[in-house]
Order: sequence, then C-alpha cells, then structure tokens
Amino acid sequence: MIILPGFSTRPFHPLLWLINPLLRRIMISLLVLIPLFSVMSACDGSRQTNTTTPTLFFGAPISLTGSTSNEGQLTLEGYKLWIKEVNTHGGIRIGHTTYQVQLKYYDDGSSPTKSAQLTQQLITSDKVNFLLGPYGTAATLQDEAIAEQYQIPMVEGNGSAKAIFSKGFHYIFGVQSAASEYAKVMLQAALTLTNPPKTVGIISADDAFSKEVATAAKDYATSHNLNVVYYQQYPADTTDLTDVLTALKTSGPGGNVPDMLLGSGHEDEAITTMKECKQLHINAKLYAFTVGPAVPDFISVLGPSSNDILGSSQWTPQEKYKGRDVFGTPVHYAQIYQTEYGHAPSYQSAESTAVGLTFEYAIRKAGSIDPQKVRDALASLDIMTFYGRIRFDSTGANTYKPMAAIQIQNGRVTTIYPSAIADAQLMYPTPPLS
Amino acid sequence: MAFGQVLVNWLLLGSLYAAVALGFSLVWGIMNIVNLAHGAFIVVGAYIAFWMYTQLSIDPYMGIPLTMAALFLIGWLVQYVVINRVIRAPLLVTFLLTFGLDLLITDLVQQIFSSNRRSINTTYAADGFDIGSTHIAFDSLIAAGIAILLTAALSYFLARTRTGNAILATGMDQDAARLMGINISRTYALTFGIGAALAGAAGAMFAELRQFKPPDEGTFTLHAFVIVVLGGLGTPWGAIAGGLAFGFAETIIPLFPGVGSGYDDAITFAVLVAVLVFRPNGLLGKAFYS
Repeated sequence: MIILPGFSTRPFHPLLWLINPLLRRIMISLLVLIPLFSVMSACDGSRQTNTTTPTLFFGAPISLTGSTSNEGQLTLEGYKLWIKEVNTHGGIRIGHTTYQVQLKYYDDGSSPTKSAQLTQQLITSDKVNFLLGPYGTAATLQDEAIAEQYQIPMVEGNGSAKAIFSKGFHYIFGVQSAASEYAKVMLQAALTLTNPPKTVGIISADDAFSKEVATAAKDYATSHNLNVVYYQQYPADTTDLTDVLTALKTSGPGGNVPDMLLGSGHEDEAITTMKECKQLHINAKLYAFTVGPAVPDFISVLGPSSNDILGSSQWTPQEKYKGRDVFGTPVHYAQIYQTEYGHAPSYQSAESTAVGLTFEYAIRKAGSIDPQKVRDALASLDIMTFYGRIRFDSTGANTYKPMAAIQIQNGRVTTIYPSAIADAQLMYPTPPLS
Repeated sequence: MAFGQVLVNWLLLGSLYAAVALGFSLVWGIMNIVNLAHGAFIVVGAYIAFWMYTQLSIDPYMGIPLTMAALFLIGWLVQYVVINRVIRAPLLVTFLLTFGLDLLITDLVQQIFSSNRRSINTTYAADGFDIGSTHIAFDSLIAAGIAILLTAALSYFLARTRTGNAILATGMDQDAARLMGINISRTYALTFGIGAALAGAAGAMFAELRQFKPPDEGTFTLHAFVIVVLGGLGTPWGAIAGGLAFGFAETIIPLFPGVGSGYDDAITFAVLVAVLVFRPNGLLGKAFYS
C-alpha cells in the first residue's frame, strides 16, 4: 500500500501506474535508471573483482595547451615512453602479481590552479595509485599540496625550485637537479676559459624558480671574481624586455655592454631577449640562458643568432651514465625516443621517463603497491639510471645528480661542461649579432 | 640613463601596440562588438606572414598587403556567417560568441601548426642606425611607420570616402543609415573584415619583431582591450594615444628608482584607472566614431 499526500489511502489499482501521468513518469524513470545503474556498477565492479589484468594507474596533470604547452608535450612523451617500455617488458612484478601500468592524464592549460584541481580529480575520482608531476615549478607547488593532503606519493621531474622541497612535505620527490645549479654550471663553464668574462649582467623573471636561479647565480659570480654589474627582475609574463635591456646595455665598465649576459627565465623570455638584443645593438661576448637553449624549437626560432648561446641542461645524450634500467645509457634512450617520436629527446622528456623509472624501482623495492610503503621505498632509493643517479635527500630533492652546460654550435646542441662528458669546446667570444 | 634610447623605445613600442589595438577599436566603436577573437586573428596573421616568408620568401613587411587581404576574407566570412546573428544581441552574448570563436581558432591553429614557437628572422633584423648613443633598429622603425600609416589611412578612409562615411553612419544610427539606403549587413561585414585585416598586419609585424605561438592570442586581446580603453573609442588616433600610454606604463615607469618589477602590472592598471577617472571616455574618446 502506497500512501501519497493528497491521494486516498485505498490501495492503487495496477492500471493506475499507466493511466496517472505522475505515476507513469515514475515508472518509466525507474525502468530506465535501474538497468543503467546496474550496468554502471558492473563496470566499476570489474576493476575490483580483478577479472581483467591488474593495472597500476599513474595520474598526471600536464600543460598540453597554454604558455608551456611545448614543454608539457615533451613531458607527456617522456611519460608515455616509460609506460610503453614497462608494459612491453612484462610490467611490474610484485610477488605473484604482475601489474600493467597505465597513464591517466589531463590538460591543465598551463594554469597552476587548474593543475591542482585536476590532481584532486585524479585522486578522488579516477582513483589513481600514484602521481606523476606536472610541468613547471608553479604547477608542482600547487599539486604537491594535494598529494600531501591525500598521502599519495608524487614523483616529479620538471619543477626545480627549492621552494618545492622546503615545505616539510613527505610525499614529494623530484628527480632533477636543484634550481640553484642551473646558472652555476654555466658560470663554471665560462670561468674555465683562459680569458674568462669579467663582468656579467643578470636579468631574471620574477617567478619562484627564476628568482632562485638568479640569486644563486649572483652569489656564485660574486664569490668567483665575476663582477655582477647589472641585476634586474622583470614580470614573469612580460612580452617586452626593451626597458631592462636598454639599462643593461650601458651597465658595463665605461658605459659598455657587460662581457656576459645571463638570463634566468623560460624559453619565451630567452627568445625575446635575443631578438631585442639584436634590435638594440647589444653585443655581449657571451649569452647564457637557464631555460631555452636545450629546447628543440629554440634553434629553429632564432636561426643563426642562436649560435654560441650557452644553456644548462638536466640531461644530454652525450652523458656517460650506465643505468640498470631498460634504457641503460643516454645514447640508447635517445635512439629509442627518436624511433618512437621521430625527433630527438629534450631533457624534459628524459627526466619525465626517469620519474616513471623511479616509481618502478621503488614499487619493486617496497614489494607492495601500498602508498605508504612505496613512499618509504622512494625515500631510501639509490639507483643509477640512463638519466643519472636518483637518490633523494630528506626533503625529497635529488642532490646527487649534476647538471651539464651546453652550447649551440653550428645549429646543434653540444655539451661543453663538465669536461668528462663534453663533446665540444666552449666557443668564446660570440661574434656581434648583426 | 640613456634617455634618448628610452624615448625611442617608447615611441616605437607604443606605435606597435597601436597596431594591435586598431582593428579592435574599429569593430568595437562601429559595431559595438568587443571582439575577443581579435588576438586569434593577430596570431593567424603572424602564421600567414611566417608561412609566406618560409615557403615563398616574401618579406613580412612587404607582404603585409597580402596578409591583410587574407585576414580580410577570413574576417568577412566570420562576420557574415557568425557575428551577423548577434549584432543586436546583448553584450554578454557577443562576448560568449567571440570567446568561443577565439578558442576555436586558437585550437585549430595549434592543431595545424603545433605549439612550437615561431619567429621570422630577416637578414636586416640586426641592422639599424645610431643617433649619438641611441640605436634605432630598422625593423622596429618600419613597423612603427606602418602602424602610423595604417592609422592615418583608416582615418582618411572613414572621413573622406563614401564607403567610410557609410560605415560611420551605420555606427552612429543603424536604422537611419538603413533609411539612407546603406546595406547594413554588407557594411558590417566590411567593417569586421577591415578590423581583421588590421589585426593581420599587427600579426605580421609581431612575427618578425618578436616570436609567437598559439597561446599568445590571450595576451594580444588583453593588450588591445586596455589600449582601446586608455586611448578611447571614437577615432583611430585613439589607438595611437592608447598605445603610447600603454607603452609608457610598460617601458618608462619601471625605470623610476624604487619601482620594482613586481609593480609593473599594478602600475599599468593604475594608469588605466587614473585615465578613466579623469577622462572616462579615454584619452581621445568621443561619443561617436568619426
């Protein structure tokens, strides 16, 4: 007996379900929704009942559109290459279970806040097992807080600022060298010259990563007899640097251009700086940019004016590492990457693949997919890979891998420092741009 | 402090910014449409100029008439097929439509050309001449010259030609213009086409002076918006005034001692607020476009 307000309490005649409009709608809704729900729960159930292959899900928000879309794309390629290689070589085996790995990724549009939101979605809605980092310090700073909150380990390869590792978080690990190394390695390379530059002008974007790099650069230069004659920050999203460069032009001794120009920012600003140096007739003896020269389209955008520009790189194919991973050496990784994607790998791709490898070894070491155990395994990991040594200090940063200095010579990237892995000599001074 | 160089930088940059805002100002002033896809048109113009340079070896500045013609066609088509439907609609509807158009065009461009950065490197890119210690690059000078030329040409076209007068009349009072025998939809299509063509010219110049990639369209639209509000609707020269004002905030104010880089955006928008307080219609703004 059904009692509805406003209706009589007599039992309903079955036919009433067809005649009364309200009851008819209720019946049709139930007839549609009940099968729908049962189908949906069956789909969810199949994941839990393990009737399909056991799979580990790795989630990542990546900037596939927006200002860092290029680098985001390279990051995705690095992740995908790892996924493919792991699955081809039999997945990750723990005890009697062999897990396939799968990547779940979303486009965060180069927006850090969206990245954080997507991280949350990956954890709560997509129920990923572990997190791979986004591209860039800004997004990593946001996403690591979410990972920490839900206690899901996150390994990242594209955010280098010390700020990422200074929050006392336990669930964040970064495979790449710290931001402070970016400029240091280029200055070290420059100072190996018999007649090194005496003055340097440093310009820096004001985002967390670039500021860290610039401060470390200034400290290193000052303590190594390199006079910092100009030091200026500019807004991170600027499209024009004429004011900063105009002031730099006359900041050297005698109102001339300083010997070296060091730019700390991202690829866009590096390109803008070179183009505007041309327009303002600024001819330094050495140009160095922390981010930009190692990215493939830097050379194609600038053409001949990209020659002799110094850059720093987290990884180059010329390095002499012998890793225990499936890629083994940098050369071998470059070959596999080239075959897969038709172009040479950048360091962003290499470090993203290294992120995947880190998880792979940590999970095997932990012997479990439990987030806590994997986190502890990550904290005590020490492995040599094609990317270099991966070991984390107590804050989660990898302080055991050095960076390399590169220089563009004749339209291609060469490694010039440290000498143990260099395949070319540093060319100095740079001829005038015109 | 190299005052001469700073002054030259300001004038050249200001003129370049004016080129960015010129088409935006026209479309807004006449059709009352805030075209959020303006930045996308600029980026398309940049890609066309880039393609002509790399495939056909056409200099970006010499090729500006071609770039403008291509963008004119695109603008005409977009107006006729899409924008025409929202001419009399509320402002929010035009925002939505042009925003959607912006996303569509940007994504299309990214699919076709990839998100790689591009730039045009001409052989004369580093050449220029010196007046004392001030260096003036040829390409910056040419770009500024073209921007001023386009503004003057647009002003002349609107004021002195029959078609231009028809456009102005339509902007003033659509119904009265129709009564005078002016074909409204064709006039609007023409106006939008010209706006797009001017965006294309700006794009071609940016392709050589700086670099570009699809996501840059957001910055272009925002700059155009601020410049138009600063300089005022009502005359093409408003774009020049706005461009110089914007350039001033970007290049000169940060050089004042004590002003750090973090204040750049704050200062730009403070200038905007100041202008709006004292001259609500913008620096050269008038009630009607003329």
